[in-house]
Amino acid sequence: MRQILIIDDEDDIREVAALSLEATAGWDITTACCGADGIRAAADPKHRPHAILMDVMMPGMDGPTTFRQMQLNPEIAGIPVLLLTAKVQGVDQRRFAGLGVAGVLFKPFDPLTLAAQISAALGWKD
Amino acid sequence: MTDAEDKTAALLSKLWVKIQPIVEERLATLDKAAAAEGILAEDLRKEAESSAHKLAGSLGMYGYDEGTRVARELEVLLGEVKPDAARLSALVTELRAAVFPAA
Repeated sequence: MRQILIIDDEDDIREVAALSLEATAGWDITTACCGADGIRAAADPKHRPHAILMDVMMPGMDGPTTFRQMQLNPEIAGIPVLLLTAKVQGVDQRRFAGLGVAGVLFKPFDPLTLAAQISAALGWKD
Repeated sequence: MTDAEDKTAALLSKLWVKIQPIVEERLATLDKAAAAEGILAEDLRKEAESSAHKLAGSLGMYGYDEGTRVARELEVLLGEVKPDAARLSALVTELRAAVFPAA
Protein backbone atom coordinates (compact mmCIF):
# COMPACT_ATOMS: atom_id res chain seq x y z
CA MET A 1 0.00 0.00 0.00
CA ARG A 2 1.22 3.48 -0.90
CA GLN A 3 2.20 5.68 2.02
CA ILE A 4 1.88 9.44 1.59
CA LEU A 5 3.04 12.17 3.93
CA ILE A 6 1.07 15.42 3.79
CA ILE A 7 2.73 18.55 5.19
CA ASP A 8 0.47 21.61 5.47
CA ASP A 9 -0.11 24.16 8.22
CA GLU A 10 -3.84 24.41 7.50
CA ASP A 11 -5.87 21.83 9.41
CA ASP A 12 -8.74 21.56 6.94
CA ILE A 13 -6.45 21.13 3.91
CA ARG A 14 -4.61 18.29 5.68
CA GLU A 15 -7.88 16.69 6.70
CA VAL A 16 -9.52 16.89 3.27
CA ALA A 17 -6.39 15.69 1.46
CA ALA A 18 -5.82 12.81 3.90
CA LEU A 19 -9.37 11.53 3.98
CA SER A 20 -9.93 11.91 0.24
CA LEU A 21 -6.72 9.99 -0.57
CA GLU A 22 -7.72 7.26 1.87
CA ALA A 23 -11.26 7.09 0.47
CA THR A 24 -10.48 7.32 -3.25
CA ALA A 25 -7.14 5.49 -3.47
CA GLY A 26 -6.91 3.47 -0.26
CA TRP A 27 -3.51 4.98 0.51
CA ASP A 28 -2.05 5.13 4.00
CA ILE A 29 -1.67 8.76 5.04
CA THR A 30 0.41 10.47 7.69
CA THR A 31 0.36 14.22 8.24
CA ALA A 32 2.53 16.96 9.68
CA CYS A 33 1.62 20.60 10.34
CA CYS A 34 5.03 22.20 9.70
CA GLY A 35 8.26 21.62 7.82
CA ALA A 36 10.27 20.51 10.87
CA ASP A 37 7.66 17.91 11.87
CA GLY A 38 7.46 16.84 8.23
CA ILE A 39 11.19 16.14 8.05
CA ARG A 40 10.97 14.09 11.26
CA ALA A 41 7.94 12.16 9.94
CA ALA A 42 9.63 11.46 6.59
CA ALA A 43 12.70 10.10 8.39
CA ASP A 44 10.68 7.70 10.56
CA PRO A 45 11.77 4.27 9.29
CA LYS A 46 8.45 2.70 10.36
CA HIS A 47 6.43 5.04 8.13
CA ARG A 48 8.83 5.98 5.35
CA PRO A 49 6.54 7.59 2.74
CA HIS A 50 6.53 6.75 -0.97
CA ALA A 51 5.81 10.42 -1.69
CA ILE A 52 5.38 13.73 0.11
CA LEU A 53 2.70 16.31 -0.64
CA MET A 54 3.83 19.61 0.82
CA ASP A 55 2.39 23.12 1.02
CA VAL A 56 4.58 25.95 -0.25
CA MET A 57 3.56 28.76 2.11
CA MET A 58 3.93 27.70 5.72
CA PRO A 59 4.95 29.80 8.72
CA GLY A 60 8.50 29.22 9.91
CA MET A 61 10.11 26.89 7.39
CA ASP A 62 8.27 27.13 4.07
CA GLY A 63 7.91 24.29 1.56
CA PRO A 64 10.93 25.08 -0.63
CA THR A 65 13.19 25.45 2.46
CA THR A 66 11.85 22.20 3.91
CA PHE A 67 12.52 20.49 0.58
CA ARG A 68 16.12 21.76 0.55
CA GLN A 69 16.61 20.50 4.13
CA MET A 70 15.29 17.09 3.09
CA GLN A 71 17.85 16.94 0.28
CA LEU A 72 20.60 17.17 2.89
CA ASN A 73 19.47 13.92 4.52
CA PRO A 74 20.45 10.96 2.30
CA GLU A 75 17.81 8.75 3.96
CA ILE A 76 14.94 10.88 2.70
CA ALA A 77 16.47 12.82 -0.19
CA GLY A 78 15.16 10.27 -2.70
CA ILE A 79 11.51 10.54 -1.66
CA PRO A 80 9.58 12.36 -4.40
CA VAL A 81 8.09 15.65 -3.23
CA LEU A 82 5.07 17.33 -4.78
CA LEU A 83 4.58 20.96 -3.84
CA LEU A 84 1.05 22.18 -3.27
CA THR A 85 0.47 25.85 -3.97
CA ALA A 86 -2.30 28.39 -4.38
CA LYS A 87 0.04 30.61 -6.40
CA VAL A 88 -1.04 30.48 -10.02
CA GLN A 89 1.32 33.02 -11.53
CA GLY A 90 3.76 31.58 -14.03
CA VAL A 91 6.82 33.09 -12.37
CA ASP A 92 6.02 31.27 -9.10
CA GLN A 93 5.33 28.00 -10.89
CA ARG A 94 8.68 28.16 -12.73
CA ARG A 95 10.49 28.96 -9.48
CA PHE A 96 8.95 25.96 -7.70
CA ALA A 97 9.56 23.61 -10.62
CA GLY A 98 13.19 24.77 -10.71
CA LEU A 99 13.79 23.53 -7.17
CA GLY A 100 14.02 19.92 -8.35
CA VAL A 101 10.75 18.70 -6.88
CA ALA A 102 8.84 15.88 -8.58
CA GLY A 103 5.96 18.19 -9.44
CA VAL A 104 3.71 21.08 -8.49
CA LEU A 105 -0.01 20.69 -7.78
CA PHE A 106 -2.45 23.52 -7.31
CA LYS A 107 -4.85 24.60 -4.61
CA PRO A 108 -7.72 24.39 -4.45
CA PHE A 109 -7.56 20.74 -5.47
CA ASP A 110 -10.53 18.54 -6.29
CA PRO A 111 -10.65 15.97 -3.47
CA LEU A 112 -12.07 13.37 -5.85
CA THR A 113 -9.20 13.62 -8.35
CA LEU A 114 -6.28 14.43 -6.04
CA ALA A 115 -5.05 10.81 -5.97
CA ALA A 116 -5.15 10.65 -9.77
CA GLN A 117 -3.23 13.93 -9.99
CA ILE A 118 -0.55 12.61 -7.64
CA SER A 119 -0.29 9.31 -9.54
CA ALA A 120 -0.01 11.14 -12.85
CA ALA A 121 2.66 13.50 -11.54
CA LEU A 122 4.71 10.61 -10.19
CA GLY A 123 4.10 8.20 -13.08
CA TRP A 124 2.37 5.68 -10.84
CA LYS A 125 0.28 3.22 -12.81
CA ASP A 126 -1.47 1.47 -9.92
CA MET B 1 -22.13 8.28 -6.87
CA THR B 2 -19.46 5.80 -5.83
CA ASP B 3 -18.81 5.01 -2.20
CA ALA B 4 -15.63 7.10 -2.26
CA GLU B 5 -17.50 10.05 -3.77
CA ASP B 6 -20.24 9.73 -1.13
CA LYS B 7 -17.68 9.62 1.68
CA THR B 8 -15.76 12.58 0.29
CA ALA B 9 -18.92 14.66 -0.23
CA ALA B 10 -20.05 13.92 3.34
CA LEU B 11 -16.62 14.84 4.67
CA LEU B 12 -16.58 18.12 2.76
CA SER B 13 -20.04 19.09 4.08
CA LYS B 14 -18.96 18.41 7.64
CA LEU B 15 -15.67 20.23 7.25
CA TRP B 16 -17.33 23.23 5.64
CA VAL B 17 -19.44 23.70 8.76
CA LYS B 18 -16.39 23.20 10.96
CA ILE B 19 -14.19 25.74 9.16
CA GLN B 20 -16.82 28.49 8.86
CA PRO B 21 -15.44 30.39 11.87
CA ILE B 22 -12.02 30.40 10.17
CA VAL B 23 -13.55 31.61 6.89
CA GLU B 24 -15.41 34.34 8.82
CA GLU B 25 -12.20 35.36 10.58
CA ARG B 26 -10.39 35.67 7.23
CA LEU B 27 -13.28 37.66 5.75
CA ALA B 28 -13.23 39.92 8.81
CA THR B 29 -9.53 40.64 8.20
CA LEU B 30 -10.38 41.55 4.61
CA ASP B 31 -13.27 43.75 5.84
CA LYS B 32 -10.83 45.55 8.12
CA ALA B 33 -8.44 46.14 5.21
CA ALA B 34 -11.30 47.44 3.05
CA ALA B 35 -12.47 49.74 5.87
CA ALA B 36 -9.01 51.33 6.01
CA GLU B 37 -9.97 53.21 2.83
CA GLY B 38 -6.54 53.74 1.40
CA ILE B 39 -4.70 54.27 4.70
CA LEU B 40 -3.79 50.61 4.92
CA ALA B 41 -1.07 49.81 7.45
CA GLU B 42 1.61 47.46 6.15
CA ASP B 43 0.89 44.82 8.82
CA LEU B 44 -2.80 44.76 7.98
CA ARG B 45 -2.08 44.66 4.24
CA LYS B 46 0.15 41.61 4.71
CA GLU B 47 -2.35 39.91 7.01
CA ALA B 48 -5.16 40.55 4.52
CA GLU B 49 -3.01 39.28 1.64
CA SER B 50 -2.38 36.08 3.58
CA SER B 51 -6.10 35.69 4.34
CA ALA B 52 -6.95 36.13 0.65
CA HIS B 53 -4.27 33.60 -0.28
CA LYS B 54 -5.65 31.02 2.14
CA LEU B 55 -9.22 31.56 0.99
CA ALA B 56 -8.12 31.27 -2.64
CA GLY B 57 -6.47 27.96 -1.87
CA SER B 58 -9.36 26.40 -0.02
CA LEU B 59 -12.78 27.73 -1.12
CA GLY B 60 -12.78 25.84 -4.42
CA MET B 61 -12.17 22.60 -2.55
CA TYR B 62 -15.65 23.01 -1.05
CA GLY B 63 -17.22 23.90 -4.39
CA TYR B 64 -16.92 27.68 -4.05
CA ASP B 65 -15.03 28.24 -7.31
CA GLU B 66 -16.21 31.83 -7.64
CA GLY B 67 -14.94 32.47 -4.10
CA THR B 68 -11.52 31.19 -5.11
CA ARG B 69 -11.53 33.40 -8.22
CA VAL B 70 -12.38 36.57 -6.27
CA ALA B 71 -9.95 35.70 -3.44
CA ARG B 72 -7.17 35.33 -6.02
CA GLU B 73 -7.96 38.79 -7.38
CA LEU B 74 -7.83 40.13 -3.84
CA GLU B 75 -4.50 38.45 -3.17
CA VAL B 76 -2.98 40.07 -6.27
CA LEU B 77 -4.46 43.48 -5.35
CA LEU B 78 -3.23 43.23 -1.75
CA GLY B 79 0.23 42.34 -3.04
CA GLU B 80 0.50 45.91 -4.35
CA VAL B 81 2.14 48.55 -2.17
CA LYS B 82 -0.95 50.82 -2.35
CA PRO B 83 -4.00 48.76 -3.28
CA ASP B 84 -6.87 50.70 -4.86
CA ALA B 85 -9.32 51.25 -1.98
CA ALA B 86 -12.51 51.22 -4.07
CA ARG B 87 -11.50 48.02 -5.89
CA LEU B 88 -10.55 46.40 -2.59
CA SER B 89 -13.89 47.22 -1.03
CA ALA B 90 -15.82 45.98 -4.09
CA LEU B 91 -13.90 42.69 -4.20
CA VAL B 92 -14.40 42.03 -0.47
CA THR B 93 -18.15 42.56 -0.91
CA GLU B 94 -18.09 40.26 -3.96
CA LEU B 95 -16.18 37.60 -2.05
CA ARG B 96 -18.58 37.64 0.88
CA ALA B 97 -21.53 37.31 -1.52
CA ALA B 98 -19.84 34.39 -3.30
CA VAL B 99 -19.25 32.49 -0.07
CA PHE B 100 -22.41 33.39 1.87
CA PRO B 101 -24.93 34.30 -0.85
CA ALA B 102 -27.93 34.54 1.49
CA ALA B 103 -26.18 36.73 4.06
